[in-house]
Amino acid sequence: MKAMKKVLVLLLTVIMAFGMMACGKDDKDTSKDLPKTQDSDSGKKDTPSDVGSTEKVKLTFSIWGGQDEQANTQITVDKFNASQDRIEVEVLAIPWENYLTKLNSMATANELPDTGMMMETAVIPYAKEGMFADVSDMFKGQKVLDSLAFTYDGEIMAYSSANEVLLLFYNRDMFDAAGIPYPPADAANAWTWDEFVQTAKLLTLDSSGKNATEAGFDANNIVQYGCSVENLMWQLEVWAISNGAGYFTEDGKELIIDDPATIAALQEVADLYLAHKVAPLSTGATDDGIPRTIISGTVAMATNGQWNVGTSLKSAKDEGLNYGVGVLPYMKEKVTICTGGPTVVFAQSKHPEEAKEFLSWYNSIENSWKLIEDGIWMPIFEEYYTDESLTRKWVENEAFPPYEEYKSAVVDYAVNNTKRAAWYYTNNIDNFYAVLGSVLGEVWTGGDTVENAITSNIDVLRDAFEGR
Amino acid sequence: MKENRSNVFKSRKRKEKIASVISLIIIIIMAFVVLFPIWWILRTSLMTNAEIYKYPPLFFPSEFRISNYQKTLEVFEFWKYLFNTMTIIVPAVIGGTLTATLCGYAFARLRFRGKRFLFSLCVGSMLLPSMVTLIPLYIMWTKGLGLVDSYLPMILPYFTGGGAFNIFLIRQFIMTVPRELDEAATIDGAGRFRILTNIIVPAIRPAMIVVALLIFITLWNDLLQQTVYINSSDKFTIAIGLTNFRGALKADWSLTMAATCMSFAPGVLFYLIGQKYFVEGIVMTGMKN
Amino acid sequence: MNRPLKKSKRRRSHISAKEERTAYLYLIPAFIGLIFITYLPLLGVFGISFFEWKGITSPKFNGIDNYVRLFTKDFFFVDSIKATVYFALIAVLGSMIYSLIIAMLLNRKIPARGFFRAIFYVPYVLPATAVYIGWSWLYETNFGLFNYLLARIGINKVQFLASSRLVVPSLAAISVWLSGNLIVIFLAGLQNVPRIYHEAAEIDGANAWQRFRNITIPCMTPIIFYNLLMSLVTNMQIVVPALSLTNGGPGNSSMFMTYLMYRYAFLNNQIGYACAISFIFFLIIAIFTAILFITSKSWIFYEGGD
Repeated sequence: MKAMKKVLVLLLTVIMAFGMMACGKDDKDTSKDLPKTQDSDSGKKDTPSDVGSTEKVKLTFSIWGGQDEQANTQITVDKFNASQDRIEVEVLAIPWENYLTKLNSMATANELPDTGMMMETAVIPYAKEGMFADVSDMFKGQKVLDSLAFTYDGEIMAYSSANEVLLLFYNRDMFDAAGIPYPPADAANAWTWDEFVQTAKLLTLDSSGKNATEAGFDANNIVQYGCSVENLMWQLEVWAISNGAGYFTEDGKELIIDDPATIAALQEVADLYLAHKVAPLSTGATDDGIPRTIISGTVAMATNGQWNVGTSLKSAKDEGLNYGVGVLPYMKEKVTICTGGPTVVFAQSKHPEEAKEFLSWYNSIENSWKLIEDGIWMPIFEEYYTDESLTRKWVENEAFPPYEEYKSAVVDYAVNNTKRAAWYYTNNIDNFYAVLGSVLGEVWTGGDTVENAITSNIDVLRDAFEGR
Repeated sequence: MKENRSNVFKSRKRKEKIASVISLIIIIIMAFVVLFPIWWILRTSLMTNAEIYKYPPLFFPSEFRISNYQKTLEVFEFWKYLFNTMTIIVPAVIGGTLTATLCGYAFARLRFRGKRFLFSLCVGSMLLPSMVTLIPLYIMWTKGLGLVDSYLPMILPYFTGGGAFNIFLIRQFIMTVPRELDEAATIDGAGRFRILTNIIVPAIRPAMIVVALLIFITLWNDLLQQTVYINSSDKFTIAIGLTNFRGALKADWSLTMAATCMSFAPGVLFYLIGQKYFVEGIVMTGMKN
Repeated sequence: MNRPLKKSKRRRSHISAKEERTAYLYLIPAFIGLIFITYLPLLGVFGISFFEWKGITSPKFNGIDNYVRLFTKDFFFVDSIKATVYFALIAVLGSMIYSLIIAMLLNRKIPARGFFRAIFYVPYVLPATAVYIGWSWLYETNFGLFNYLLARIGINKVQFLASSRLVVPSLAAISVWLSGNLIVIFLAGLQNVPRIYHEAAEIDGANAWQRFRNITIPCMTPIIFYNLLMSLVTNMQIVVPALSLTNGGPGNSSMFMTYLMYRYAFLNNQIGYACAISFIFFLIIAIFTAILFITSKSWIFYEGGD
């Protein structure tokens, strides 16, 4: 019996000691955290600065992004907290890779934040379940680009906080060395697909310096590829649209991925590697297209999103990379697609009005300016594209390619030639892309044709699209 | 006859020597192969992003950019993360090792009804991937017990034996400790608990270190649970910090790899310190006579 | 050695109440763990698998619909079973053979043994995500190191992670590389094989292979069993490479079950459905382990034992 007592005592002490240690640490923090979920109404937590004033509404704002983005957001939020005395916002930072995982588990446990960034793929699924508060009137007076509204059944569910479009980046030095003119910087002069492929051939070099049009070109020893067309599923749709079709009808209600024009367009992309040997193999699994191609100095032209100007090309430029930006080549229609992570107010929030107030403040041009200036975001307000004096404000920038080029290749292109990425208007898109990625998996290495892959799996694709 | 035998002996010795040399050569080659990917990560952490994607690939950075590490430390709050991680790991390792020892001892030495059944339940739970029960457990901890944004959901499970693998391991080790020792102690009037603390624990100390290391590694790598349970950035662990390091649209590999290399360090250190006991511990495995 | 064993067996027939109480007391933590951390949640998973639960809405009972959908309609599921089993098979066999060979080499009298042992163990203590990212560069088709080396000796590019035929073996190779813990355990076992047996056999004229087959292997069977079990359970639960490298592709060739489960539960919010996958996954592992345990009786060689 004595032994038992001892064990019990030992066990208890250990559990308590470490439990306390962990709890002790938690206690401090929970006192800080709890109010946001439960005590927000009781208001027993006043900050020293407003002793005696009425209670503040506490909001949580969830964001993703790396450490520096987090620090930036915190600064912005601190400014907001200081600017008025009714609302206090707390930042909840979640690693990007796990953002949706986290939100989904929070939704399951009914403890979502009040407001936050949202993954593009999850907007419509969440909206469909009524998880968002209505924010359609958030930007009084200021006109947001039409292409940045997430819509479901004709109603606006959310707005992107940034604008991003797909572009063609290229290495000027490689064009100079080959004596070839740069890709066109305005949609009016955009290359046809064939011109694009032809140029890529001239820029694809083997180890003995021969390009892909010359006799004796050794495709097994390529040291410089002419082009790389990003084949992440969502970016790939631009080619289907360009060829006059797409994955879905424009209302997002029907699947048209088996349209011959879509199939032909996707096959063209695959053939860059398979038939023309002008592109490196890419399986569309990783999202580091520009560093992998342009920055590494192995590829002359690469398609990808505008954000690369800020995220990776800026520092590469400092290290001596001489790059330019142009519009995408086209098949039938001159088109690019846009995207941009939205910010939403969750319907579970007890303070939707305050959350909306914060969001519209957060999305104002002043507060996005740092990211716009860095080249990671583009403004969401139309006037920054149409009013040239405002355009100059963000485009005349050391870190960007020259103004004239950027104005026509990016700014005008984003207004005049842009369609929305599919997640702005279709449900179940995440699962659909997963299935599509899998269906096309063999295509990139030549193990299957696009036509066969899609037609033989059309039922599966339809099921995924319809959420069955 | 005599000569013959010594010849056999000599040739055996020579053969053994040759075999040892060949083994050594193979081992050295294999060691290079094994270390190579690690070198690749380390090398990457010392290069510029442009160098990383160079083709043909560079085996050595053109210059060793230690500054990558300084830059990384500016944004990657290593020490804070390390402290947080340790706040989870230290109690879990202690709790897991102690309770695993108690349970392992009961299974190895004590007789009680339902032992076989309980033991097979225990072994059975080894087969259950943690991901399977993640959702019910998450609901239990957060909704049921209100442990939101807390380390406890990751620590407390280790106070329940620290996982079946560890109980199993300890049991196997205890079974190698000669029963005669216990019996002698019983005759001397020692109780069960005294036997456990005075005879069994010293004998299986290496095994306990093995268990501690295993728990350490599991928790160190357990990104999924940490992400699910931790909310505020004040509480981020190394694993979360590392994924968070790769921002939404960024892919700064050299800094990411620098952060990765920093996060290698504690695990390797723990192993090097414990390795003497660790191997000694396994040498005593219960599978031997 | 035999006598006390028999005696203890006889004693087992009447269990002292005090001993039993002590045992239960010591097992309280395990009880709690087994009930609350393991089996109740498992029951929960089984229960939830009969509901349509989108996470954000309230659960709706739909009988065995989830299971029917899994086996008749799901585009990924059957492939995921294949991928998981295929991966586990290669990885388990590969790491068993690799670690046994390395352990046997390390068991010889070579200088700096501790140093080498440490080297082979190190991969095991590294963070998994980083390991896979590091390896993905080596495997990269266009600019990766392996293909560069192959090109140097005139071999055409190999699509390690990009071809559905090679992706699983390529990932399994990483898993083999990571199996340092098996080496240490094998090594421990080898050091316990009495040298006298070897010496005796040698004098009897047995060659190296015969000694390996007839002495080393039999003495090692319990350890082989333990390692097999550990390696099987770890490798069946593979998820990180799919999560961080392949997203299950190309095609469905690396759509491992745990990854599929993760996708449905945490990305698509189909919790009931994900629980159905979880449960089947649990059954598959249980079957494999059961086979291992049942057959083990015939091939494990216990020298004494309890």
